[in-house]
Amino acid sequence: METFWETFKRHGVSRRDFLRFATAITGLMGLSPSMIPEVVRALETKPRVPVLWIHGLECTCCSESFIRSATPLASDVLLSMISLEYDDTLSAAAGDAIERHREEIMKKYWGNYILAVEGNPPLGEDGMYCIIGGKPFLENLKETAKGAKAVIAWGSCASWGCVQAAKPNPTTAVPIHKVITDKPIIKVPGCPPIAEVMTGVIMHLALFDSIPPLDSQGRPKQFYGNRIHDTCYRRAFFNAGQFVERFDDDGAKKGWCLYKVGCRGPTTYNSCGNIRWYNGLSYPIQAGHGCIGCAEENFWDNGPFYERLTNIPVPKVEASPDKVGATLAAAAAAGAVAHGLLSKVRNK
Amino acid sequence: MARVVVDPVTRIEGHLRIEIIVDEKTGKVVDALSSGTMWRGIELILRGRDPRDAWAFAQRICGVCTSIHALASVRCIEDALDIQIPKNANYIRNIMHGSLQVHDHLVHFYHLHALDWVSPVEALKADPVQTAVLQNQLLEKYGAIGDLLPDPIGHRAYPKKFPKATPGYFRAFQEKIKKIVESGQLGIFAAHWWDHPDYKLLPPEVHLMAVAHYLNMLDVQRELFIPQVVFGGKNPHPHYLVGGMTCSISLNDMNAPINTERLAVVEDSIYTQVEAVNLFYLVDLLAIGHIYVQKGQTYGGGLAKKRVIGYGEFPDEPYKGIKTGDYHTKILYHCNGVVEDFAEGVEKAKYYPLVGKDFADPNVIQEFVAHSWYKYPDESKGLHPWDGITEPHYTGPKEGTKTNWKYLDEKGKYSWIKSPRWRGKPCEMGPLARYIVTYTAVKQGHIKPSWMDEMVVRQIDFVSKVLELPPHVWLPTTVGRTAARGLEAQLGAAANLYFLKKLYDNIKAGDTSVANMEKWDPSTWLKEAKGVGITEAPRGALGHWVIIKDGKIANYQCVVPTTWNGGARDPMGGQGAFEECMKDSPVKVIDKPLEALRGIHSFDPCLACSTHVYDTEGREIVEVKVQGAQACY
Repeated sequence: METFWETFKRHGVSRRDFLRFATAITGLMGLSPSMIPEVVRALETKPRVPVLWIHGLECTCCSESFIRSATPLASDVLLSMISLEYDDTLSAAAGDAIERHREEIMKKYWGNYILAVEGNPPLGEDGMYCIIGGKPFLENLKETAKGAKAVIAWGSCASWGCVQAAKPNPTTAVPIHKVITDKPIIKVPGCPPIAEVMTGVIMHLALFDSIPPLDSQGRPKQFYGNRIHDTCYRRAFFNAGQFVERFDDDGAKKGWCLYKVGCRGPTTYNSCGNIRWYNGLSYPIQAGHGCIGCAEENFWDNGPFYERLTNIPVPKVEASPDKVGATLAAAAAAGAVAHGLLSKVRNK
Repeated sequence: MARVVVDPVTRIEGHLRIEIIVDEKTGKVVDALSSGTMWRGIELILRGRDPRDAWAFAQRICGVCTSIHALASVRCIEDALDIQIPKNANYIRNIMHGSLQVHDHLVHFYHLHALDWVSPVEALKADPVQTAVLQNQLLEKYGAIGDLLPDPIGHRAYPKKFPKATPGYFRAFQEKIKKIVESGQLGIFAAHWWDHPDYKLLPPEVHLMAVAHYLNMLDVQRELFIPQVVFGGKNPHPHYLVGGMTCSISLNDMNAPINTERLAVVEDSIYTQVEAVNLFYLVDLLAIGHIYVQKGQTYGGGLAKKRVIGYGEFPDEPYKGIKTGDYHTKILYHCNGVVEDFAEGVEKAKYYPLVGKDFADPNVIQEFVAHSWYKYPDESKGLHPWDGITEPHYTGPKEGTKTNWKYLDEKGKYSWIKSPRWRGKPCEMGPLARYIVTYTAVKQGHIKPSWMDEMVVRQIDFVSKVLELPPHVWLPTTVGRTAARGLEAQLGAAANLYFLKKLYDNIKAGDTSVANMEKWDPSTWLKEAKGVGITEAPRGALGHWVIIKDGKIANYQCVVPTTWNGGARDPMGGQGAFEECMKDSPVKVIDKPLEALRGIHSFDPCLACSTHVYDTEGREIVEVKVQGAQACY
């Protein structure tokens, strides 16, 4: 979203004329001349990207992972990059107050807010396995998506279904792309996703005003472009045929490859091998446990974690041409400018 | 009478709805409803799976109290299969647990609870110079509480995370809040009841200091979980292993998961835990709590005054079984028991012990469904987890439609949360409950106190001295519940230093084993095995029950803290802790029930944990109603 001053500049308006405009608008809105500097400042200040973060059936590990980010720190993201206008976990307001606020934000920033979804909707029992404000979350999800610029599917719940969708999927939980079919969706899978991957996606949106380049599965290429097996620091041991045969054996002490004790590294796309967890501190394989494939679809149902599997489906991601998500349009239609200006300056 | 609804309740984990019936003239709450508004079915999902995988599935019950369901699960499977873990694995698991206790309690206070007590709007009125003065005064006044935390390692030269107390520092935070308010984009601070009179109870300088700490601690909290990342590979949701842990130890191998460098990383972060708790959390708690108590805000005790329960935690050394009773001979935290009538004074309170065999006894712990959306053949009775029946039965609201509620039916079924009971009676659980049980057990001479029990007593006595009130008056209140959580965070940090020292000593003695793999292969298991895994989760006592048949999970059930606390009323008329707390709190502004919200938040609700179902042994899924087998979790 560019500021109004940027819009004016783009249309070739001089600074002097811009200030004249600001003065005129101030008078038009019935504000005193002493308010002119405020009006100018409002026009110059880039509004932070409004984000509505809703929760369906989930365990909240995505929210928790988000705040583990070291770079950027969550406080910088929340206070200076985006404006988190709705979040079950952090929002001060509750009940009717927060739901009304959500509706106001949707209206005010229609077409310009990001919808972030943690968790997923159950379709069973008319959706009443997950209730917000006395109504099914399914309804809340569809309604909130309507005016979104783009949608983020946080974690494996929103991206694929995750644990509640594992056999026999008692509540008929489905990933959000089964319900939202007319908006660009950025899938950020993982149970949970790595913290810096999550804040990286937000930072990309705030910094570049565009959806990061996505692969054929809808995942950001810069975070899901390689398998763990390609970037794993124990790959040399795999190549040399040095494996852990049994936990805590000699090979385990030597940090050898965990392939034989079920590691899903060869079939899992994620940044655990390169960015790792906690800004490079460690990852499951480094702690001696094989990857369980938590960023992949159906990982819960691909057989016991400690057994070597031969039939895990691997979607072809490297070869397919990617459909990049729609680039965000700047909110600068002339009519919208005046309307936006009014509400922006009034809303103090 | 006014009926006030808050749905969704925010600043919790999961989905919750509350309804309060208030006498508008007096502000007294006549009745209250707590309704769990979510369900997933994880217990059903576990059926038929490999028991060695159970911890990974169960852990996804909750990502806030991450790791605790994994711990309960591995303990449960190990209890069923008669596996005793190595010493190092016990110490490592205890450190991971202690780290959860510190993180979860601290983040709850600052990031989920604090905005019920402090306001960024009030913070804007503060004088940054006076705020700096206040910060120093508070550290002088309450800082001695840090001396209650023993350090057997002694490697921290001086505190690294010391609260800043300069006017410029507080001015910078104030400026940032001002910018946010002026931008019109209030974000998480938007739309709340900032004009509620309770926000005037504290001086603006306390508000500014607390809001600054909210942000400091948001930056620091990630460091508190570093032990889980080192030992378990990631956080949230670190990795465990039936039989111990996978993080092998070797001082001879460069690529070992644990060597001296990794231990140093863990040690450093435990000192960060100590400092965050001693210098920020406890001082802020005492500052706020003290003023609230002085101003008579001592409501919200509810069920805590009448009955509390705990299961016991922190086994000092590996044990041979839980249902056998050996676990309870090894624990350091003797919060295992039920205490009634603590509000009458610790001498008059009634104490009942709880040990291993009680968890297998069908008459001790049961769940009722009369007011929850499930069906039993006879809903006047409760069922033990091993004998459970699952038949979801959604009946809709009292007023409104099935998919658009106006009001729920307190006389009928109104929640996805069941009603666990101890001998048919409701109990509160959580840090407050644990502190009441431990304190009573020590003072009445029922146990030989461990160092941990003695620390609990010293902490309570310290706060009693500050408040100039005896424990039975200040503890069972909303403020007391909040204070107990902070004290328990300090206990967790102390546990971590203690178990880290034990880990060092054991490695020094030449023992580097982390996993007992003798019973790894299913061929070593009995045809049928039953187990129970218990632990003290941040929000209260947690139990997992399993039946393994032919190497696969036949039946898996969890009875979780928020089920006890947030559950619906039982057929005998007993109400759970959330409802009793709301009934024991005033409402000063009818359409802004901040006191009720503050009370509910004082339990640290976790709804993903609370909703579940259990199955009878061998009972076919076809008997469960369709549209997915509507088990909940």
